[in-house]
Amino acid sequence: MTKTILKSAAGLLVLASLLVLPRYMQSPYALHMMILLFLSVSQGQSWNILGGYAGQHSVGHAAYFGVGAYTTMMLMHTWQIVPWIGVWAGVGLVVVVALAIGSICFRLRGPYFVLASIAVAEILRLSAINLTTLTNGAEGILATEIPAFKIGERVVTDFLTKVPFYYIGLFLVLLTIAITWLVQHSKLGYYFQAIREDQDAAHSLGIHIALYKNIGLVISAILTSLAGSFYGIYVGFVDPPTVLGLDVSVQIMLICIIGGMGTLWGPVLGSLVLVPLSEALRSNLITEGLVKIGLVSADSRIGIFLKENLSHAHVLLYGILVVLVILFMPDGLMGFVKKLAMRRKREAV
Amino acid sequence: MAVFLQSLISGILIGGVYALIGIGLTLIFGVMRVVNFAHGDIMMVGMYLTYLLFTILGIDPFVSVLISFPLMFLFGGFLQKTFINRVLSAVAQNQILLTIGLGLVMSNTVMLIFTSDYKILTTSYSSSTIQVGGGVSISTPLLISFLITAAITAALGWFLLKTDTGQAIRATSQDRDAAQLMGINVKRMSIIAFGLGSALAGTAGALISPTYYIFPQVGGVFTLKAFVITVLGGMGSVVGATLGGVLIGITESMSAVYISSGWKDVVVFVLFLLVLLFKPSGLMGKSRT
Repeated sequence: MTKTILKSAAGLLVLASLLVLPRYMQSPYALHMMILLFLSVSQGQSWNILGGYAGQHSVGHAAYFGVGAYTTMMLMHTWQIVPWIGVWAGVGLVVVVALAIGSICFRLRGPYFVLASIAVAEILRLSAINLTTLTNGAEGILATEIPAFKIGERVVTDFLTKVPFYYIGLFLVLLTIAITWLVQHSKLGYYFQAIREDQDAAHSLGIHIALYKNIGLVISAILTSLAGSFYGIYVGFVDPPTVLGLDVSVQIMLICIIGGMGTLWGPVLGSLVLVPLSEALRSNLITEGLVKIGLVSADSRIGIFLKENLSHAHVLLYGILVVLVILFMPDGLMGFVKKLAMRRKREAV
Repeated sequence: MAVFLQSLISGILIGGVYALIGIGLTLIFGVMRVVNFAHGDIMMVGMYLTYLLFTILGIDPFVSVLISFPLMFLFGGFLQKTFINRVLSAVAQNQILLTIGLGLVMSNTVMLIFTSDYKILTTSYSSSTIQVGGGVSISTPLLISFLITAAITAALGWFLLKTDTGQAIRATSQDRDAAQLMGINVKRMSIIAFGLGSALAGTAGALISPTYYIFPQVGGVFTLKAFVITVLGGMGSVVGATLGGVLIGITESMSAVYISSGWKDVVVFVLFLLVLLFKPSGLMGKSRT
């Protein structure tokens, strides 16, 4: 009992400090990092609902991310439609796409499902490249300005600073966590887990497999689409590889796998590890560190090489992490933490 | 008619190389039931190996197969022994993720070393063609690589059918437990199968390098293509993979001519989804459990 109270108190404290944070932390870089973290958590959590709870390991989530990002950006670019409305157009479209994908892919299992999910996302990526009149092709869409949201003459949001993005990102995180929690504690979640553990047994108990897989996919796709819209507007640029590429699908999935699939806090933990790590590589912190301790001089050939190329290495790091996690912590960081906690408990007894 | 014949011939020639990639993947799947998502990246490593041998030592890409085949065999054996072996009894998604992770490590390590620039390997015969008559011509490098592919496939067929090791590999892929009870060293067969699969992928990379761009991310495209080929042929079937490779080659070159080159991969993926839906056991496969 006291444990529950302590836990909720800690949660409220974290939430309160996240809400007031932009007041005290005004450095755009720090805000940017927090926004990236929020984006990552909401991506991972969205995948978690389908991949972690229902056990359908889609490697094609870029499809939903990209549809959200592209729809919002295209509406904004072509017709100056405010993102607040464009987002919902993206959601509507993504539901259609998800149901189409679901009706094809859910007839397949295991590796065949994975392959089909990749193929569908690839079809969308190649279409985005080839439908130049609609999507601007390989050049992508650049939004120079986000139209302000006005009611009458009053400006509600202007997106001139990073602060509105911070709060929208935080809202997305809370939304995805709340929905995951609801799923976990409802009949739906138990059905998902039954399907994950043994599809045939679940079927023989009368669970409508295809229906529940599609429900899981639609929830997951809508949330991923919201994250995609958010990404598109925040970065102001979308093109086929950055929102529809296979790398996007893999990265979405990794947040969850490294953190721990099918757990509420896995994607949060995964993001807390992955985002700072990949950002450290991207921003050349490592090269600067090596220069500082005198291992590499900044203007030597190797120093210049590292500076130019190490920024690409965050995907390499993702790869190494995946290999290590699968080999040594098959249940992700959450599983590892739980194991440690269990061991401590046992030792205490 | 000339256009039709032309695209049919180039489809068959490129399909031969695709078949080689597919056979490698299907061999690995057959023996270990592991879907190797790093297959295209292994092929990419083979392409860079060929590129290195060509630029540093001046060895012709087609001759370099003699060096890259054994090297890639060792590389594959190493991957199997250090990584894949540990997840053989794990759940399927962990196997998939591990091979995706290995693929990411390979492509990004190569990117760190060689940067992401496109490399082109130009030989004296890279753009030469042989006129057949009737307005139809055959690209020389594609023809040579097709002949080498055919020779390798024939040698592999002989190896699998006639030698003791080949028979042991086939036995392992039919029933791993029964093979073990019969005294077959399945662990060794797994290493050989992964080595062979990698060597075939690497060889395909070497054969395709005079006519294709070389870049670190090239593997992703070919991993998918390899799957389409093996699923089309029936997972685990070597004959099926050969057929699937040629079929995909023809589909690609036909849709490039009659639809557009930008949409040819879309046609292949749509075909793939249709096969999964309507003939999930593939052309040669029996069951898929």
